[in-house]
Amino acid sequence: MIRRVSLTTRLTICYALIAASLLLGMAWMIAGMVSQHFWELDKETLQDKLSLVEGIVMRSQTSGDIAPRLSDALQNHPGLFVRVGKLNADEVAFQSADFRFPPQMLETKKSLTGDSLFTWQTPDQEFRALTREVRWSDAGQTTWLIAAAVDTQHHDHFVVSLKRSLLTYAILASILSALLSWWAARTGLKPLRAMKSRAQAVNANKLDERMPAESVPIEMADLATSLNDMLQRLQNDFRRLSEFSSDLAHELRTPISNLLTQTQVVLAQHRTVEEYQDTLASNAEEFQRLARMVSDMLLLAKAEHGLLLPSTEEIELQREVVALLDFYEALADEKSVKLHCSGEGRILGDRLMLRRAISNLLSNALKYTPASGTVEISIESTPDHVCLRVTNTGAAISAEHLPRLFDRFYRADKARTHAESDGAGLGLAITRAIVEAHGGKASVMSFDDKTMFELEFKPLG
Amino acid sequence: MKILIVEDEPKTGDYLQQGLSEAGFTVELAVNGTDGLHLASEGDHDLLILDVMLPGMNGWQLLRSLREKGRQVPVIFLTARDQVEDRVKGLELGADDYLVKPFSFAELLARVRTILRRGRTGIESATLLVADLEMDLLRRRVMRAGNRVDLTAKEFGLLELLMRRCGEVLPRSLIASQVWDMNFDSDSNVIEVAMRRLRAKVDDGHEAKLIQTVRGMGYVLEAPKETK
Repeated sequence: MIRRVSLTTRLTICYALIAASLLLGMAWMIAGMVSQHFWELDKETLQDKLSLVEGIVMRSQTSGDIAPRLSDALQNHPGLFVRVGKLNADEVAFQSADFRFPPQMLETKKSLTGDSLFTWQTPDQEFRALTREVRWSDAGQTTWLIAAAVDTQHHDHFVVSLKRSLLTYAILASILSALLSWWAARTGLKPLRAMKSRAQAVNANKLDERMPAESVPIEMADLATSLNDMLQRLQNDFRRLSEFSSDLAHELRTPISNLLTQTQVVLAQHRTVEEYQDTLASNAEEFQRLARMVSDMLLLAKAEHGLLLPSTEEIELQREVVALLDFYEALADEKSVKLHCSGEGRILGDRLMLRRAISNLLSNALKYTPASGTVEISIESTPDHVCLRVTNTGAAISAEHLPRLFDRFYRADKARTHAESDGAGLGLAITRAIVEAHGGKASVMSFDDKTMFELEFKPLG
Repeated sequence: MKILIVEDEPKTGDYLQQGLSEAGFTVELAVNGTDGLHLASEGDHDLLILDVMLPGMNGWQLLRSLREKGRQVPVIFLTARDQVEDRVKGLELGADDYLVKPFSFAELLARVRTILRRGRTGIESATLLVADLEMDLLRRRVMRAGNRVDLTAKEFGLLELLMRRCGEVLPRSLIASQVWDMNFDSDSNVIEVAMRRLRAKVDDGHEAKLIQTVRGMGYVLEAPKETK
């Protein structure tokens, strides 16, 4: 498994590596330049010395003169070692005391004149040397080789200690920059930790906590805002869910309590057969209501999972409305309410579900229309939408109730008693769920003396 | 008529058995899928009522095995789950109907009778007669004790349903579905109102009331019992 590395650690390692490589690179460059400088310095010195020795040699009359002259001259040049000898011969005119040039340097046919410094080491010293050939015009017209060497150990000591200092500095500075970058990363990521602690504070009972979207850096503001939106949605859903559960429990409690009380009272003593029958029949009615409530709830639950439309076909809305008006005709007639339908429109949908949605609106409208009122259904088709409006006469619904009319179990009149035919307050919620499953939306408006429910669908095609 | 119920929930099983026996059927009860399949294969039932979730072997497996043995007995499924795919699966396997719990017993009874009546090819009579109520299907005319009863088209349809299924308690949902093609529970009292109006036309002014409300169940049309 790949170990997860924290963002702070990653940034620290990254910064520290960058700093270390830059520092080491600079140290390497400085050390290189200093070495180069000393090399050139040594070369210049050796060339100077060679010229000096050459002058002395040229001025000498015989080879025997060379040694005393050079000894005199070189007294002022400590650390300089010189050898003057015939090229490719054993005859040596001068040789610094206690110093031996490496033989290969002197034997080389192609003598090391010019730019090339000859470097060699003894266990405790390091030398650089340069040679020069001179044609000394003594009797034999022979070529002599002058070799000069300097001890460069003090340079090397310096370079080594410089390298050591630079390396030490680079390492220490790298460590320091690692520490600083750790601090910087931590400081930079502080808003993340603030968001984390906010997030940890969020739980089911405390969903109103929000991310500090204003105080975090711009890069994180989007994230914070998105998280806040998510929290808002969760809070809304959660509130709806908990309201729903408590509503459900409440809605179930009353009928169950009625059933229980009634049954126990009847069982408490002997009754006539008619009384038992009456109780059982009343229980059966109540159970039917409960059963219908459970079915309605399941339907709504299915709607939330998008399972509402088992089959879709082309629906002629007017035909469905006419069929429904036929169904409600007796009820409307009983209340002397006139039913009227106008317009037409076609949509794609599930016939059973659409009938159910419109049926709930009609049933609701009939419930609230006073005697001799009218319920008007109009269908309007435009290229943009197909609207079905159910308008009933009757007292206006106050504005505070309108937005919540489609909520489950919501009743504008909280104290209203259950009529025999009264639903559980799920009808309009089901209507909205069905319409939304069809990609439409449901709304309601209320004027002085009429209320209009509107279902808006997408047109065919 | 012999019915086999396969239901593992003891209370449901017992009540279904009792209810159907009292409705005049011979009823056998199996409490798991394996016994159910055995009884169904051996017996000569006219109808099977199968719970979907069963120990041993579920309702679908049972039906599949039964069909593989060549038994073509009609089947009603009972289920606590109402998923479209369940419904489709049941119908694909050759179930005749599908009831989602909680269902009312009246509903089940009505559907059982519908299925058992199916295929029984009687000569379609042009008139229906219950006591002194007479319906002429061809001329669409209804007479009660010799007097013409004026009915709307839907009232005629409603009365026809009640007369055809004379003596059966018909639940509201079945009436809404058969007469108006409304295949869902309406939360209004439409059926009550329609029945009240029909009853006023049919029974008012007559000693014998033919249309009865069975509280908690539905409506029934039957000739008054002579003994009472």
